[in-house]
Amino acid sequence: MQNSKRERRKHKFSALIRALFIPFLFAAVLSLISAANGKAMIPNRSAFHNFVIYTAIVMLTTMALSINLNSGRFDFSLGAMALFSSLIAAKLTYAVLGGGPGSAVMIFVLSLAAGACLGLISGLIYVLLRIPPIITSLGVTLIYEGAIYTITGGRYVMEEVQNASMAAFSAHAVYALIIIAAVLGLMIYLFNYTVFGFNYRALKEGQKVAVHTGIKEIPNALACYAISGGLMGMVGFMNAARNTNINGGNLNFSSVGIMFTAFLPMFIGSYIGRFINTEIGFFLAALCMSMLNSCFAAFSNQINASAQAIINALLLLLFLIYLSNENLLRNVLQNTAGKRKAADHD
Amino acid sequence: MKKNLRNILSIALSCTLLIGALASCGGNGEPSAEKNQNVSGKNKENPATAEGGGEDRAFEAFKTGVLVADVSGEEALAFRDYYENYIAEQYPIEFLYSEQLEDAASERSAIEKFAAQGCKAIISFSGSDRARQIESCEENKLYYAVASGMLDDKQYEEHKDSPYFVAQIGPSMETEYNAGREMGKYFLEQGAEKIALYGAFIPNPMHVYRAAGVLSGLGLSYGGSDDKDAVAGQIFQDQGIKLEKVSGDQAELAAYFQGYGDTTTDELNAAIQAEPDAFISVGMATTFFTQQLNTSAVPFSDIDSFTSGNRKAMEEGELTYLAGKYSSSVGPVIAAVINAVNGHPLRNEDGSALSVSQDYQVASDLESFDRYFKADRGSSPIYDKNLLDQMIGQDTDLETFTKLVHNPA
Amino acid sequence: MSRKENTIRKSYRRRKILSRFMPLLALLLLFLSFLLAVEKKGYRTDLYLKIIFNETAVLAVVATGAIFIFTLGSFDISLGAATLFSATLGILTYMESQSVFLMIFVIFISGILCSLTSSLLASFFRIPAFVTTVAMMSVLTAVSTQIITSRGGALGGISIPSGLLKPLDTPYFKLLLMALYIGIAVFIFNFTKIGRRQKFIGANPLCAKLTGIRASRYTIIAFAMAGLGVGLGAFLTLIYTPSVTSGTAGSIGMNIIVAIVFGGMPISGGADSKIYAALIGGFSYTLLNNTLKILIEGNAGYGISQMVSALFFLLLVFITSMNYRSEQLPR
Repeated sequence: MQNSKRERRKHKFSALIRALFIPFLFAAVLSLISAANGKAMIPNRSAFHNFVIYTAIVMLTTMALSINLNSGRFDFSLGAMALFSSLIAAKLTYAVLGGGPGSAVMIFVLSLAAGACLGLISGLIYVLLRIPPIITSLGVTLIYEGAIYTITGGRYVMEEVQNASMAAFSAHAVYALIIIAAVLGLMIYLFNYTVFGFNYRALKEGQKVAVHTGIKEIPNALACYAISGGLMGMVGFMNAARNTNINGGNLNFSSVGIMFTAFLPMFIGSYIGRFINTEIGFFLAALCMSMLNSCFAAFSNQINASAQAIINALLLLLFLIYLSNENLLRNVLQNTAGKRKAADHD
Repeated sequence: MKKNLRNILSIALSCTLLIGALASCGGNGEPSAEKNQNVSGKNKENPATAEGGGEDRAFEAFKTGVLVADVSGEEALAFRDYYENYIAEQYPIEFLYSEQLEDAASERSAIEKFAAQGCKAIISFSGSDRARQIESCEENKLYYAVASGMLDDKQYEEHKDSPYFVAQIGPSMETEYNAGREMGKYFLEQGAEKIALYGAFIPNPMHVYRAAGVLSGLGLSYGGSDDKDAVAGQIFQDQGIKLEKVSGDQAELAAYFQGYGDTTTDELNAAIQAEPDAFISVGMATTFFTQQLNTSAVPFSDIDSFTSGNRKAMEEGELTYLAGKYSSSVGPVIAAVINAVNGHPLRNEDGSALSVSQDYQVASDLESFDRYFKADRGSSPIYDKNLLDQMIGQDTDLETFTKLVHNPA
Repeated sequence: MSRKENTIRKSYRRRKILSRFMPLLALLLLFLSFLLAVEKKGYRTDLYLKIIFNETAVLAVVATGAIFIFTLGSFDISLGAATLFSATLGILTYMESQSVFLMIFVIFISGILCSLTSSLLASFFRIPAFVTTVAMMSVLTAVSTQIITSRGGALGGISIPSGLLKPLDTPYFKLLLMALYIGIAVFIFNFTKIGRRQKFIGANPLCAKLTGIRASRYTIIAFAMAGLGVGLGAFLTLIYTPSVTSGTAGSIGMNIIVAIVFGGMPISGGADSKIYAALIGGFSYTLLNNTLKILIEGNAGYGISQMVSALFFLLLVFITSMNYRSEQLPR
């Protein structure tokens, strides 16, 4: 009995170590590179605030992408949803508060609500038309981008998001930390301890069987879209606070880039999630990405945007190569070690 | 139930399409040929004539296509507003705008569409391949004028004798360089020693030359060189400015960054943390960084346009220097086009296309800002009808025209 | 056979015919609407038709190649970037060698190599093809931008002399090239075992594997065909305009997917894949966009026409996909 407890504890400890391995590896390698070149990855307090906000943005985007993608639903409209929800929230808030105190809170709440509604609309179109989600998302992206352009006339929205309240949000990491903690807690609860979560998993693993066992797929899919939209609403809010503007001039799929940037953290997060929990995995992956981003910023004079894009792409490929050939690699390593042992014996 | 919902949705979609199409058809039903004869632009009272300089002048009504690479920037919208809401009221011209042009192929396609729509001239604000634009205009027998930037010297030499190439009136690369240099000099004279520089969208050629100019204005050399073209060449090669290649003892370049993406906030933050005496931008800073720079109390400058937002930043914030264009600065180009379409093109003495470099206007305080901002509004632009009439017509000579481009006042 | 069964069968057949001919019908309707719009506005129809052809040529060719990949149930988002990369390398080759033949050779070879690299990475390392192409898109765009901006300098782009390919800039020559490529594609897709097996793999990869079909071989062939399309697309781009900037072919990547779906191709590939979908869809999408831009004017028109275009797209796909609806939500 005691032995099995010890085994379990040992197993948990080993899982924790494995889960933290990648973030530690990132931290160690990037800190070493920075130190060797006389730079600091996070040189001061405002860099730290920014680091936390960026971590929150990546974590939420990755979660929003993975909720649907894990169920085979490709969603190109994430970027457009983030922009549209923050635009609606900023315009409404400005009309009510005129940029005065409380603007940030109101934009946050409205952006979250608008994002959830936009996600729900996207989900409804998918459910009602019953065409593949990738196609629905192409149409929805174009519609949302077009709507943003029509509202803004293609201009940057600045006055509505440039105020003391929004500036206070981006100047302190604590708000982003609260968002990270709240979202993490809620997502862990929602996807691991509720009927919705159980149904989601069942549908993810075996759609046909799950439907035949009586799980209602449509409400589950709609909820997924609404959650994903809500998360992107928060991303839209944080981007607006961080960038001090909302770009209204995105047309012809120029908002889809955000989805591609979430691929790497999604794969890393899913890998880490094997040892601990998928949602925490996404958080740790977002931390890694944020470290990489801070490092890029520190080396911006040496590594330009093109080089950064190439590094990101190579990291994505390398990680996927490892992920897809993990067993093969393990077998090769074990065989080599076995042969060496045998040779030592001889 | 589900089936019904789907049916309702498909009917709703169809209705939206139909209504959209009908609504847009409604307003613009008349054929263009007819339009050309009867109504031109918004000048419906006197469609085929426009008065100027106290005498009646007959102008042919015509359509002009406008090629734009930026459809939503403040400056681009201000230009559009001037053309559509002022020029079209005063002269019998209808302006047709392209969509956002991203490459040479879309530029050519847009020119051909304008030709198909009955345009007689093209004004270009897009610079992916200007040489090819001129060739397309020649093929379609359209007059062509550049309103933003200029052709490269070699390209100009090659095309200057084309009868369809009317003019290029805008800031040349030399002007861009000088605008940057003046900005650098300004801060040096103000006693700034520690500078942060934002390179906007380098390797965009305009931004490269401005940045090279800023370095020169600050008395800094790049890669050991002070020569304009050599410095610009190195910036193109480096795809940016490498701090280790900057040297000079009059000022220190404490921070440099460019572009706009995920790392920008960190880079801006690092630049502010370097506690510069001034933050010099070669473009877009007023859109991206005004709030942060105001909060950090870092005096900054930009090359942008005279907008209400920038006025606010100068009045209440830290914007201390702005080199820019005002909305009616694109007036002389349309004057040159009107002359060409009406059969009396204004050309250089050797018969080549007009090439006049237009300087940026500079404001370093609210008073000088208002000279361009308040004096260039809506119905009373700097290049108003009275002034443009002096540039239009058979009697207009090259000297007067050039003088008015350089000094409208 | 009962009466009820008969009715169901008839209704199924009707829907099948509708979904098969809907893209063609839509193309016809869009063409008529376009002609009406042009006529109503008093614009020149002849010139506009030429424009439509030129705007669609590159998209249709690259998308036709992409059909081979989509048929396998796979996905390639890097084809636009690959077109830019091939055109860039072509111009670079001409700048260095002054040889047109070498330039054309490099354009086609680089197009095929770009595509094959994606496929080899995907099949050799067993990673999802879509993710490989996302990475390839970043790399190819970044490398092309680096070459263009460092070599182009103040011009902002690189180019070949404008007269070099000018004699080829005729509708007949471009039509000939398109017909040749699409003809080969149709032949391979519809009349050889390659096409049949690719559809089989797309419809049921496991079953295909069990019958001894080697998916990797057909994946490589599919990507090679797509690469050939990319090369031809890059060549047609240079015939139309002899220069490239970092924005060249930028919108092709996503428009390919829209065009293919517009043409009636199921996004999941398989047995219902249609090689002509790219051609029909490409022309339909270009016609739709141009009609809307003719009808809706002003700055806000850009946004409104995109929304209307998207609604039309969804409606068309809804009608064409009526035939293959499953009990569960599609994925």
